[in-house]
Amino acid sequence: MPSAGNYLDVALFSVLPYVALFTFLLVTIERYRGQAFTYSSLSSQFLENQQHFYGLVPFHYGILTVLTGHVVAFFLPAGLLWWNDHPARLYVLEAAGLIFGLLTLVGLLAIATRRLNVPRIREVTSVTDWIVLGLLLMQVASGVYVALVYPWGSSWFAAIVAPYLWSLLELAPNLGAIAPLPLAVKLHITNAYLLILFFPFTRLVHVLVVPNPYLWRRPQVVRWYRRAPSPARHG
Amino acid sequence: MNWPLAMKAARMPLVVAVLAAGVAPRVRAQEPATFFRQNCVACHTVGGGRLTGPDLKNVVARKDRAWLVHFIQNPKVVIDSGDPYAAQLLQEARGVVMPALPGMNPAMADGLIALIEAESKLEKSQFVGLQLSDRPFTPADVAAGTQIFLGTKRLATGGPPCLSCHSIGGVGAMGGGKLGPDLTLVYERLGGRKGVGAWLTAPATPTMQTLFSPAPLRAEEILPLLALLEDAALRRGTEGPVAPLTFFLIGLAGTVFSLVVFDLAWQERFRNVRRTLVDRIARRGTR
Repeated sequence: MPSAGNYLDVALFSVLPYVALFTFLLVTIERYRGQAFTYSSLSSQFLENQQHFYGLVPFHYGILTVLTGHVVAFFLPAGLLWWNDHPARLYVLEAAGLIFGLLTLVGLLAIATRRLNVPRIREVTSVTDWIVLGLLLMQVASGVYVALVYPWGSSWFAAIVAPYLWSLLELAPNLGAIAPLPLAVKLHITNAYLLILFFPFTRLVHVLVVPNPYLWRRPQVVRWYRRAPSPARHG
Repeated sequence: MNWPLAMKAARMPLVVAVLAAGVAPRVRAQEPATFFRQNCVACHTVGGGRLTGPDLKNVVARKDRAWLVHFIQNPKVVIDSGDPYAAQLLQEARGVVMPALPGMNPAMADGLIALIEAESKLEKSQFVGLQLSDRPFTPADVAAGTQIFLGTKRLATGGPPCLSCHSIGGVGAMGGGKLGPDLTLVYERLGGRKGVGAWLTAPATPTMQTLFSPAPLRAEEILPLLALLEDAALRRGTEGPVAPLTFFLIGLAGTVFSLVVFDLAWQERFRNVRRTLVDRIARRGTR
């Protein structure tokens, strides 16, 4: 007989992901069609640029690397298990993952501190921004916690989580190996769905409009037009 | 929050939730024989002797059918009710409580009893259990088992290596996984070669079942693993808190190092683009 826990598992791991994914797809498209100019990270760089560095840089290097790791594990679980066949390689991968996870966490804490402490930044911070920050903090903190307390996630993600995620895409959710997972792991997965759900309503949409060509376009020369200083000033 | 958009979107999750309920997981009806092979052989044989649970040959002669059908649907309830026979079974199993199994219902329980009855009449049941060699384990067996545990020797059917989720005291430089139980003393817990061997043939927990019922371990893999587990139980190796601490410290050191690298690399870069430009122009003047 299914227990209350069972129904909760079904709600969180076989209904919520579809709600999140469909909301994400429909609203991102709707928002782009209707309000394309709101597709922005709403940068606050011009308002404060010193503390910004210690949040922005570690956070983005961290999150991009860690997310790439998750995506690779999702698409190539067998490749990941092959890499992890040698414990030395497994340990290197896990340590790298932990380092980038911690960098993300440091960056995120710096970002939150800056938003709290710099009056000009606080002025432009909306409730949605706090929701985003809260969800991200929960996501990254639970991720680091899982990495430390339940090693070795790179292997068991490939063996347990990747097949579950594929079962979702095949419209036949298989919770067999998800239901017994520890609470921290379930929190990490559920919170990820919440992030996807909230994504289209927030500044996170900037992820979808990253100006990638900046990476390979030719450098632009910036010319400053101003009056030439008088010879006297250089004396 | 973008409210008009949010209002519009608020209606969508409802529709989607209804759709998603249609693809919610369903328990497939199973043949009793398939069910027995996947759920029961880890602890029971029919005519192969006791494992963690009793040998089920002629079980219907030992206890009446209605009781058995009731018991296997939810053993814990019967045990907790103070039933004396259930208490005796629990004692014989050294306190290991038979789990309530997913997919179990009155029809399946009835089907299983009928299956056991039929199998008991055969000279050799298909559920007589794994016939493992009785020869003493050699150091070579232990070494081979360690390779399988670590993953350096891949499992024939492609399952993940044990180290992903399990630890054995003293095996692996930074230890094993912690998602599953520590296996250092499992050889004693599950009753040695026969009990652990049977368990590995058809693991009974949901996680192990999901992973290993499509890709079962082979007999030639189970034997070296048993050698490793026996050796581990004898050595009673303790991992101590050193390995997890090492892992954490490596992470911390790497993080600090990366922050220093960022700081150095950005001395002349993005951090203060405008100020650098303005300073440079102020120094040089514009032409």
